[in-house]
Amino acid sequence: MNASKPHKVKDIFVEGAIDPAFVGTSLAKHASRTDIGAHEIFLGQVRADKVDDRAVTAIEYTAYREMALERMTAIREEAFGKWPGMTCLHVYHSLGTIKAGDLCFMVFASAPHRRDARDVVAYVVDRIKAELPIFGREVVEGGGYVWKTNT
Amino acid sequence: MRVLLFGLIAEKAGTDRLEMQAGSLDELRGMLAQRIQGLEALSHAIAVDRLIMHDDLPLTGDEEIAVLPPFAGG
Repeated sequence: MNASKPHKVKDIFVEGAIDPAFVGTSLAKHASRTDIGAHEIFLGQVRADKVDDRAVTAIEYTAYREMALERMTAIREEAFGKWPGMTCLHVYHSLGTIKAGDLCFMVFASAPHRRDARDVVAYVVDRIKAELPIFGREVVEGGGYVWKTNT
Repeated sequence: MRVLLFGLIAEKAGTDRLEMQAGSLDELRGMLAQRIQGLEALSHAIAVDRLIMHDDLPLTGDEEIAVLPPFAGG
């Protein structure tokens, strides 16, 4: 990829949880890129938070897809602008009902050196949490739900 | 114009889509507050053509408006 070339709008959304095996498959696809020296992967897992002493059993994710993908394209372009040495960046976010313990979010960056990969993942994760219109309803054990808010 | 509602806001409104006519964003904000009970007490942002807008601006009617509750991605 090239920082000066506009990136086309990529879909980041997947229906259902992210399979841990997919993480391994994604990693294996980079073996031919021998200019890469470091991968950094952030994985978000649905946590069984307590709501009034009752455990969260799942999160139901929905999104304003068109806006989320436009924001993601802008964030991706800014990230390549800030870290021109980065080799590639892959982002996936789940929609639908994701059970506690399952993976719902993956940000995967590869670069020649570890510092760029690490910094870009931290930056992109924070920007996504703050700027992408993704909504989550926490389903609570025994019935009911609460709307989740990123802080 | 088409007004898309999401998450908690859609739940409160009982629909995820409204059709409204307003000449400005502030006028539309007022109409939404009347249409969706308790909206002003709920944290939310309004996007015009997929960009969040804080100030007033004229609307032609061709815009896509969205009322967005707090984000929860990640």
